[in-house]
Amino acid sequence: MKRLSIFALITVAILMVGYAQAQEKRDFFKIGVVTSLSGELAFGGTVTKRGYDMWEDAINAAGGIDIGGKKYKVQLVYADDQSTPATAAVGGERLITQEKVDCILGPYASGTTLALAPICEKYKVPHITGSAESPLIWLKKFKYTFGTIPPVNLGPRSAIQTLTQDVTPKPQSIAILGIDDAFSKFSAEAMKAAAEKAGIKILKYEIVPEGSDYTPSVTAIKSLKPDIFAMGNHEKAAIEMIKIAKELKFNPKAYVQHYGMSTPDFRKGLGKDIEYVFGISYWTENMKIQSTGLFKNPKEFADAIRKKFNVDPDYTEAGCTGAGIAFQEALRSIKAAPPLTDAQKDALIGALENLNIGTFYGQIKFATEGDAYHANAGLQSVTLQYQGGKLTEVGPPKTRVAPPKYPAPPWDKR
Amino acid sequence: MELFFQTIIDGLLIGGLIIIVGIGFSLCFGVMHIVDFAVGEWVMLGAYAGYLMVRYFGHDPMIYLPVIFLIFFVLGWLVYPLIFRAVSGKGHNPVIMGLVFTFGLSIIAKGGALSVWGYHIQSITTWLSGKSLSIGLVTVPALRFSGFLFGLLVTLLFMAFLYKTKFGIIIRATAQDRDTANLLGADVRKVGAFVYSLYAGVTGMSGVLIGALFSIHAAMGAKYATLAFFVVVLAGMGYVPGVLVAALVLGLLQSFVTVYIGGRYTLAALFLVMYGVLLITPKGILKRGI
Repeated sequence: MKRLSIFALITVAILMVGYAQAQEKRDFFKIGVVTSLSGELAFGGTVTKRGYDMWEDAINAAGGIDIGGKKYKVQLVYADDQSTPATAAVGGERLITQEKVDCILGPYASGTTLALAPICEKYKVPHITGSAESPLIWLKKFKYTFGTIPPVNLGPRSAIQTLTQDVTPKPQSIAILGIDDAFSKFSAEAMKAAAEKAGIKILKYEIVPEGSDYTPSVTAIKSLKPDIFAMGNHEKAAIEMIKIAKELKFNPKAYVQHYGMSTPDFRKGLGKDIEYVFGISYWTENMKIQSTGLFKNPKEFADAIRKKFNVDPDYTEAGCTGAGIAFQEALRSIKAAPPLTDAQKDALIGALENLNIGTFYGQIKFATEGDAYHANAGLQSVTLQYQGGKLTEVGPPKTRVAPPKYPAPPWDKR
Repeated sequence: MELFFQTIIDGLLIGGLIIIVGIGFSLCFGVMHIVDFAVGEWVMLGAYAGYLMVRYFGHDPMIYLPVIFLIFFVLGWLVYPLIFRAVSGKGHNPVIMGLVFTFGLSIIAKGGALSVWGYHIQSITTWLSGKSLSIGLVTVPALRFSGFLFGLLVTLLFMAFLYKTKFGIIIRATAQDRDTANLLGADVRKVGAFVYSLYAGVTGMSGVLIGALFSIHAAMGAKYATLAFFVVVLAGMGYVPGVLVAALVLGLLQSFVTVYIGGRYTLAALFLVMYGVLLITPKGILKRGI
């Protein structure tokens, strides 16, 4: 009996080793994706999933990633971070150690990305996030983590510049209300820094917890009568803040919010009250960009997203597809066929650092030094505004489609 | 001066919303000693019910309030036997079992809402949305004011029901001493089912109001569960009339701390007050709790 047990154990062990070895031979790239498919951030995680899935479809439709003349298809394997950092880390570890992915496409949110990045460092697996923007990620100088969207603290500059250089009369004062999360807080700080640089008086700068009732905060801001009411936030908070402002008859000359300008939720949430609201983006489908790679221009990408998902894309979808394209071009340059060895994964890091490509999303060139280490240094932010119900690029002046409309009329005159 | 008075108005109106979430929760705990962790999810489901009514039938969501009350009353009636089963039986700590079971209900509700309705943020508007009254130095948002009035009305109706009706006396007797009330002929199981259903109906209705004021999404309930706990501790656990005072105190505290100290300190202030009450006057600020 004892001999039989030992024999059975040895047999199982041999089978497991054999199975593991058999798993490592494959003729396709297995790419892990960690993002928020459930929980509070599911709305954003789904945006990233659309962007990543769009890349998978497009590259596979083209036959796969060309490695030295042979094409290898891509298979995405998802792990749901459930909108919590700890689960992002666990999901990433499972993708690396059990699914044995070649590389990882990263989460929607900055908090979850900050938890996943050390796991990618530990296992030396290249990781690109097509969404996360917190400067905290880049300050940590993770060797194995990259991002296709510039840090959030660079974005709001454009909106403040538009409002200080391109409108008359020039606004004199600003009040800033930000949400306390890894993205929004830095967006608010960036607005503050840009306002200080532009010589606008900061009447109030407040950071509040997510999910608060914003009424008292908006009341306090209203009492100071700022020209600009700026919000460091995602679109849910902006919807609530603008609704409250209308109820309190608060009439600043401009509303500026950050993320989510083109999302259907933002448009439906505010309806006609969305008019005159300014926001920030790194990409719109009307940009005049030409590319020779996947998707020839932003419009082609936008049409593909609309056809597949029946939604208008925003810059996060574009950034996520861009992340896939970055991996694709870097793998092509090092001629690494799947499954990637550890040496090839390290070589991939070098290739990503040397990457400088034009895509439908814009330039992808990762910084290799400074506070934005491994973030995309190739993009500039643009200012958007809702005019006549349409999302319109109003800054910078060289690329804008229409001049900004300022000041916004009071609520009772609309 | 204008800011001071506006801060008071804001605080009272925030308190009004807290009343309608807290009153049913307090009744549920007072009578059945069940701490319903799913209180936030009843709010969320009520908000979605309002959204679906508007989506499929049109019109203002407020006209559906009686229907939503009935729907959630029935849902509460169906759910209660499961809760009763969880908290009954030998060898259990009923309060903990109730908490754990309702926590499970809240997870199912949240996950179910996400699966059915997805991650999109929904909004509903009523004829009161965006409107406000200017009274002297202050601006009173119309929808919030209606929420405040609704909270007052619900409190008065509950008080009248509990203190002026025969069934209300039976409910209070059950709350005071369940076994004795049972021995005296009160059907405690039916009393519990009725109270839970009433709580579910009122909380579901409050969801429509909250959905019109804020955004509707599957994870919206968590903050209302926290507020419900706060208000019940301050009111005195099980003391329903105290909810009115406690909710208004919490609303004013939130408003004044946000305006005069800073929004980031509001939660800390609420927790400090809650801990202070538990340490100094554990039966609530009116000292009438269990």
